[in-house]
Parts: sequence; structure tokens; C-alpha cells
Amino acid sequence: MASRTVSDRPLAARPSKRRLGVVLIDPLPVVRAGLALLIDERLDMEVLAEAGTAEEALEALGSTRRTRVVVVVGLGLSGEHDSFWLIRTIRQLYPVLAVLGCGANADPMSISRALFMGADGFVDKNVDPEQFLESLRRTADGEMVLAGPPPQWVGPIAAGIERRRELEVTLTDRQREVLIFAAEGLTARQIAERLGVRERTITTHLGRIYGKLGVGSRVAAIRAAAHAGLVSVGARE
Amino acid sequence: MATSPPEEPTGPIRVLIAESHPVLRGVVRLACEASPQLRVVGEVDTGEEAVEAGRTLAPDVIILDLSLSGIDGLEVARLLRSEGSSAKIVVLSGRSDERTVFESIRAGADGYLEKTAGVRSIVEALERVVAGERVFTPEQEQGALRELGRMARRAREASGVASKITPRELEVLGYVSQGLTVGQVASRMGLSPRTVETHVAKVCRTLGVSNRVQALARAASLGLIDLGWKAVYSPSIPADRP
Repeated sequence: MASRTVSDRPLAARPSKRRLGVVLIDPLPVVRAGLALLIDERLDMEVLAEAGTAEEALEALGSTRRTRVVVVVGLGLSGEHDSFWLIRTIRQLYPVLAVLGCGANADPMSISRALFMGADGFVDKNVDPEQFLESLRRTADGEMVLAGPPPQWVGPIAAGIERRRELEVTLTDRQREVLIFAAEGLTARQIAERLGVRERTITTHLGRIYGKLGVGSRVAAIRAAAHAGLVSVGARE
Repeated sequence: MATSPPEEPTGPIRVLIAESHPVLRGVVRLACEASPQLRVVGEVDTGEEAVEAGRTLAPDVIILDLSLSGIDGLEVARLLRSEGSSAKIVVLSGRSDERTVFESIRAGADGYLEKTAGVRSIVEALERVVAGERVFTPEQEQGALRELGRMARRAREASGVASKITPRELEVLGYVSQGLTVGQVASRMGLSPRTVETHVAKVCRTLGVSNRVQALARAASLGLIDLGWKAVYSPSIPADRP
């Protein structure tokens, strides 16, 4: 096995179509750098781009011509355009690209959310490097990957997706919007201002939402929303 | 034999056999009786009995047929799991499709054997799950994962479509799924047949299908309506006996 030196990879000069292209998205530069080193050491794959925010990620993907690409989305992006938003957006804009969620010690609910939003699989950052690389290859080949979490998590992950589906099917778009604002702690009046409607309309929406979710209070409704992965309450990854 | 570690050795593994097919039940019993580690504490052939026996006989492991009469096997597993039963569950099924394996894992199964499995592998599976292992083949695990992926995709599609279908349209679709004609739906809802037709056509467009039957199938697969099927599993008879 011939060893390869670092200088032996002029990426731009030798873009091989057959190589698996990887786009790394993670808020932590150290994580991106580490993964990039790991990937670029392989003959069968190369890093096409790195991004630290959802906006950078979309920009990078916009200039990618390749189709055999795995987009690795770290689940730690926060803010309005968080990782889950990004996964959904990539799924809509670039349906041919494979998307692999990636997290450290993620809980089943985060994985449910990532899959529901459109990730093709999930890999934990704690798996050994070979397994990580193999996850990229298998994802590119269209296999569903769940690397890291114990196999019995299939049950809880499925349950999370099921709750989400029920919630989504039950609520109208507007009700979902109102519920998300409510979970952010906005009062009915504040929600009304945001949406440009009367406060009364919002209280009506909230009443309908409670009815549909079978709960009696705003706190219980928010709990149900969090339980279904519609909103995340408290600390994220 | 005089001194031994405090927690060892415990008695034989207590096995509950829940199997609808008498021949197969007999085979499993004989297999268990042939092993000194296993003791059969109960044999049942309906779901209700399986739940009851699971509660009262304190089995270490239940070998569970999915096609029990009454409450089916998956429901038995769900019920016992929701009650916090510590019994391990090994599914014994005539089916090997990914959906059934996936649903078994979701229901809390610790192992999955096809009915074509050899007698010795049944005994081995029981011992392994009691020792804390999961007994699924790599193909079964991967198949269940694929099904999880499909489930996520269906859920995503359902939520996208659901917001475009009005409650009225869903109501119409529900009646159609019960086998009502357009005329019957119209009189049931106090609408003109023409209006009902319009609703149906709109639903078909939204779902991207061209006729009513396809609309029902699509809506059911997205979980928007319930066709009342237990389509995931059906009673099966072991096929390997002459």
C-alpha cells in the first residue's frame, strides 16, 4: 500500500467524478477541520466544501455541480436557521444529494427530527473513524445509516417521527406557526403583532390547538409540541 | 459447587410459549424441554391469554407468534412493554418482510425468528436474549432501518399534503373509504353530488393521483385515513411442514 503525502492532493486540479464528494457543515471549525483531514486522506472521497452556518452551506451547495455528494449536517447549528431547517431546505432545493445528520451523543428525539426533516441517516461523532467513513459511503449508495446509536433506538426514533406526523397532520399551517411562537414564550398579543392579526384570533387559534392536542393549557400544548419535535425546549446538543 | 458467586446460579430460564399453531407450539415445547437451561411455564394460543400469562407467570422470556387470535402478537408485546414487564420477547413469525421486523422492534421485541428457523436456533435465541443480547440478523437490522427511513419519508410527505387538504375534503375521503357512493356521501353531508365530486377531484389532484382508489391507497399510506386494515401482518401457517 503506497503511502500518500499531504501535498499529493491538489483538489481543484484533479476533481475526480468518481470520488465521493463530501460537504461538511458544522458550527465548530475544529470538528470540520478534523473530519476534512480524515476524509481527504482517502482515495475514494474528497471534501468539496465546508460551512459553519446554514447560509454558508446553501451558498456552497449552490456552486456544487456534482451529484454523488453526501452533505454532513452537524445538528448543533442554532438560531432561526438551525440544522433541522437546513436539512429540510437542502432536501427541497437539492433532492438528489444525500444528507447525513451528525451529532455527538444525540438523543433519539434529535435523530427523529433530522430524519423527519429529510436526513437519509445519522452518524454519531463518537464512532470510530473507519465507521464514520463507511457511513458516508453507504449513505452515498442510498443505504439508510444509523451509526453510533444502539440498534434498539429504532423504536424511540420511530415513535418520535410518529408523534410529529400526527401533530403535523392535525394542525393547520397557521396553528403550527402559532404554537411555535407560543413555545418561544410569546404572549397572545405578541403573536398577534408578529402575524399582523387581532389578539382574539390568536386566542381562538390557541383554543383550537389545545382541543386538537387534547390538552388544557399552553404549557401542556408546548410540552406536546416539544415531545413531537416541533419545537425544541431547553438546551440543544 | 459449594461456593459460588452470590448471584449465580439462578434457576432455569422460565419460558412462556404463545403460539397459535398447535404443531409449532408442540415443537417449541419439545425443543425447550430438551434443554436443561429452559423450563416451559406456560403455553397459550391467544393474545389475551398471552397477556395474562405474561403478567402472572413471570416468564423470563416469551416466544411470541405474531398471528395470535384475538389481540395480535405485536399488541401483546406493546401491552406488556407498556406495563413495564421485564420479560424478554422473541418473535416467531412466518413473515420476513422489513415492515414486520420493524414493527416488532418498535413493539419491544428482543429477537426475531422466522418460522423456518431450526429447532436448535430457537433454543439458542431464547438463551441469548435472556443473557441480554438482541437476536436479529444484520439483514433484519438493516431492513428495519430502511423501513424507518421510509416511515420518515411518508411522515414528511403526509405533513406536506395534510396542510393542503381541507377538513371537508378529508371527511369526504373518509366516507369514500367506508365504501359509500358519491350519492350516499352527498346525502350524508347534505351536499350536492356535484360538490362531492369536486372535493374528490381536488383531493386526487393534491395527492397527485388519477382516481379514487389510488387516492384512498395514497391517503392511507400517508396515514391521513385509516382503512381499518391490519395489513402489516396476517395469519400465517408454517409452510415448511408436509
